[in-house]
Amino acid sequence: MKRPIRILLAKIGLDGHDRGVKVLARSFREAGFEVIYTGLWQTCEATMYAAMQEDVDIVGASLLSAAHMTVVPELVRYRRELGVENIPILLGGIIPETDHETVLGMGVAAIFNPGASTADIVTRIREMVASSRSESDEDLVRGYKNREPVSLARLITRLQRDGLPGGIDLEQGKATIVGVTGAPGVGKSSFIGKLGGALRERGLKVAVLAVDPTSPINGGALLGDRLRMMRGKPDADFFIRSVASGDVQGGLGPKSEEIIRLFDGFDFDVVLVETVGAGQSDFTVREIVDHVLLLVMPESGDAIQFSKAGIMEIATHFVLNKCDLDGADATHAQMIGALGDSRPIWRISTINGEGIGDVADWLVQSRSR
Amino acid sequence: MSTKPSANHSAASVDCDEKPFAGLEDMYAFDAESMLAEPGVFPFTRGVHREMYRKKLWTMRQFAGFGSAQQTNERFKFLLDKGQTGLSTAFDLPTLMGRDSDDSLSLGEVGRCGVAISSLDDMRRLYDGIDLSRVSTSMTINAPAAIILAFYVCVAEEQGHGPDELRGTLQNDILKEFHAQNEYVFPPGPSVKLVIDTIEYGTHHMPLWNTVSISGYHIREAGATAAEELAFTLADGMEYVRLSQERGLDVDDFSQRLSFFFDVHNDFFEEIAKLRAARRIWANVMRDRFGAKNDRSLWCRMHCQTAGVTLTEQQPMNNVVRVALQAMAAVLGGTQSLHTNSMDETLALPTEEAVKVALRTQQIIAHESNVTQTVDPCGGSYFIEKLTNEMEAKANAIFDQIDAMGGVLKAIDRGYFRRAIAESAMMENKRIESGAQAIVGVTDFVDEESHGMETLKIGQDVEDAQVASLKQLKADRDQKRWRASLDHLRDLAREGANVMPALIAAAKADATVGEMMETMKGVFGAYDGGPEW
Repeated sequence: MKRPIRILLAKIGLDGHDRGVKVLARSFREAGFEVIYTGLWQTCEATMYAAMQEDVDIVGASLLSAAHMTVVPELVRYRRELGVENIPILLGGIIPETDHETVLGMGVAAIFNPGASTADIVTRIREMVASSRSESDEDLVRGYKNREPVSLARLITRLQRDGLPGGIDLEQGKATIVGVTGAPGVGKSSFIGKLGGALRERGLKVAVLAVDPTSPINGGALLGDRLRMMRGKPDADFFIRSVASGDVQGGLGPKSEEIIRLFDGFDFDVVLVETVGAGQSDFTVREIVDHVLLLVMPESGDAIQFSKAGIMEIATHFVLNKCDLDGADATHAQMIGALGDSRPIWRISTINGEGIGDVADWLVQSRSR
Repeated sequence: MSTKPSANHSAASVDCDEKPFAGLEDMYAFDAESMLAEPGVFPFTRGVHREMYRKKLWTMRQFAGFGSAQQTNERFKFLLDKGQTGLSTAFDLPTLMGRDSDDSLSLGEVGRCGVAISSLDDMRRLYDGIDLSRVSTSMTINAPAAIILAFYVCVAEEQGHGPDELRGTLQNDILKEFHAQNEYVFPPGPSVKLVIDTIEYGTHHMPLWNTVSISGYHIREAGATAAEELAFTLADGMEYVRLSQERGLDVDDFSQRLSFFFDVHNDFFEEIAKLRAARRIWANVMRDRFGAKNDRSLWCRMHCQTAGVTLTEQQPMNNVVRVALQAMAAVLGGTQSLHTNSMDETLALPTEEAVKVALRTQQIIAHESNVTQTVDPCGGSYFIEKLTNEMEAKANAIFDQIDAMGGVLKAIDRGYFRRAIAESAMMENKRIESGAQAIVGVTDFVDEESHGMETLKIGQDVEDAQVASLKQLKADRDQKRWRASLDHLRDLAREGANVMPALIAAAKADATVGEMMETMKGVFGAYDGGPEW
C-alpha cells in the first residue's frame, strides 16, 4: 500500500508566529500528506524525538525569531544522536539570505522564505522523499528485538505499508491496553499527556497510539494530538505514535491492533489508545482494549441525552475533565443519576493536574490484580 | 527586468462589487444624524475630537527595543532627538513569555527581537536619563504586563515621580494572545483576572495611564480579515469592560483609559472605513450596553501600525511606498497615534537608517501633504460610508455569534477565534497562489537578481552579559526579603486579591520576572493552548 508522505512541522523556541506554519500544515494536508504539527514552544531535542517516533519522511522547522544560528546546529546534533540522519530538515520563516549558505552547510536540506509557493514546496518535498528509505527487513527485526525505538518506529511504518516482515510474532503480552474516547474538544490528548506523565512517575513504560481522521477528499490528515501530549523532556519510555484513520471506520486506524501488539512486545506496560473522537462511531476500540475511558466535560449537554447514546454503553470508566470550570458539580450529579450503575467517574482537570494521579493509581493497581 | 502582471487583479480582501462606483442608492439605510454627525459628536464616526489634527497631530511612536537595556536606552535617546514624541518599548521573547534571560528555553533568543528585562535593575538601565514624568511610554507586553508595570512604577518612584504623573500605555491585552499571538502563560480565566487587577490599580493610582491597549493588530497579522479584526478586538474590549464592572468599578472611571490598537493593511478605503466603524460601534456599545455617561468613555481612541505582514523581502525599497499608503489610510481614518514599519522588517529588526525613513514618512504626511487641515476628509463619500456601514454590519454579525457561544472566554475554549483566523489566512494564501491577488515584486513584476540589504545584527555577547548580570543580582539580593515577597505574592494570588501591590513589593525585593511568573503559575496553572484546527 502506498503510504502518504509524513511530515513533521515544528515551532522551536518561544516564538509564537504560527500563521505560516499553520497555512503550510493545511496546504500539505490538501496535497495528501499526513502532517504532524507539534505546536508551540518545542525544544530541538523534543522535535527530533518526535520525528524519530513518528518515523516521518521529512521535518520542517519554522523560525521567525532570528535564533536559527543557535537552533539549527542543535537540531542536526539530535538528528545524529537519535540515529535518524535519513530525515531531511527544511527551514521556513525568516532566514536572511546572508545566512543561507551557512545554514545549508550545517545540514539543512532546503530553506523556504516568505513568498515561496506551497506548490513549489510540495514538489521539492516529493523529490526529496522519493529518494530516501532503504533499511533491510533483517535490520528492522533485529533492532526491534534489541528494543531500539527507531526500529519500532520504522516497523510500524512497514506494518502499515506492506505488512510485517518475517521473524516478528505478535502475541499478547503483559501490557494493559486503555482506550480513551470522547467528543472533540473534551481534552483527550491533554489527558493522555498528563496521564502518561503520571504513569511514568510511577515507573511504568507508556506507549500512545493517537488516531486522527483522514480527509476523504484529498487523503491527507492533520495529526494534532501529539502537540498536547509532548510537554517536558523527551523520554525513551514514553513513545507516542500518531496515525491517520485512513478508510477505517469506527474510530481507529489501519492495523491498530497489530501496532498495539508491537508496543506490547516492546515491553511497554501501558498502551493508551486515543480514538478519532467522532463520538458515536468510536465503537471498534472496545474490542481491542482492556478498559474504555470516556471523557466528558461540564455543560456537554444534558446527561440524560448522552446516556441514551451508545457510546455510554461501551465505556468502562468515566472521566469528567475541566473540573476547574463552573458547572462541574452539576454535570457530575447528572452523570451519577443517568448512569445508575457502579461504573466509576473520576473528576479531573488537565489544566491544573487535579485528579490525574487517581487515574494513574487505579491503573497501577489494576495491573497488580 | 520585470515580468507583466499575470491577471487583472482585484485589490486585497474587499469583495469586488459589480458596480464600478457607489452612489445614492447605497445610502438606503443611512441616517447622517445618528450614524455620522460631526467630528467630536456622538457616535464619533468622524473622529473623537472636533479639531483633530488641526489642534494636535497624532503621536508618532516608533516601536524600538533590542539587545541590552543600555542599547535600547541609546535608541530611545536617538529617536527623541529626531523628533519622536513618545517611546515604545519592544521586549525580547523570553521577557514576553515571562521567562528570565537564564531560562533554558531562552537560549538564543535573549535580546534578539526586543530588549531583555528580567529585573528592576534592567528596567532602571532601560530608562536611564529619561524623565518618566515628561515622556509618554508604551510597553508592548502581555502575559507578564502587570510585573513590567510594577517595574515602571518603581523606576519612576526612584526618579521622584508618583504613579499619578505617569503617561503611557501598557498593551496588557491577553485575550488576543489566545486568539493570535500565542504569548499566553496562564489559562484564560486567571489571565484576564490579572488584566482586571491592573485596570483596578490604574483606575485608583494612574489616572493618565492607558491600562489596556485592546489589539487587533496581531489578530490581523495572523490572518484575520478586516471585519474579523474589528469584531474580535471590540468583543475583547467589551469583555474587559464587563469584567471591570463585575469587579465593582464604575464604567466612567476606567473606560477612558482603555485604548485600541489596529492594523492598517493594504486595502486603502477598507482600512479607513474600519477605523471609522470602530468608533461608531464602540460609542454605541459603551452607551447602550454598559451605561457610560461621560463622552470620553465612549471614545474609541486608537493607535495604528502599518501592516508588517504586507512587507516583502523581495525588492525591499517597495516597502517604503506600502508603508506610506497604509500610514495615509491611518491618518485619514483618524488615528491618535501611529507606528510606521521600516522597510527592512521582514529581514530583521530595523537599522537606524530604516527607522528614520519610516518616521520621516509620517512627518511628510503631517507637514507636507496638508491632509491634516480638514477633519475626516472622506466623510460623506458614498463609497466610504457604504464600506463603513458594511464593516459595522459584519462586526455585529460576529458579536452575535460570540454571544451565542456564551461569550469570549467560551469561544476561546472552543477554538472559535483561532480557527476563524487560520481559515482566513488560508483563504488569503489561496488568493495569492491562484493569481487572484498580486504582490508586487513577489508574484508579479519580479526581479531576476535579488538586492540584499544590510540588516541589524545582534551578537551573542548580549545574552552572555545579560545572563551574567542576572546571576550577580540573584547572588547579591537580600534573600530573606526576596523569599518573603514571593510568598506574599503567592498568598494574595490564592486569595483572589489584586496582586499589584505584591508585584511592586517583589520588584523592589529584586525578584525576577521569571520568579514572579512561576509563583503565579503555582496558583493559576499553565495553559497549553486551546483547540488548534
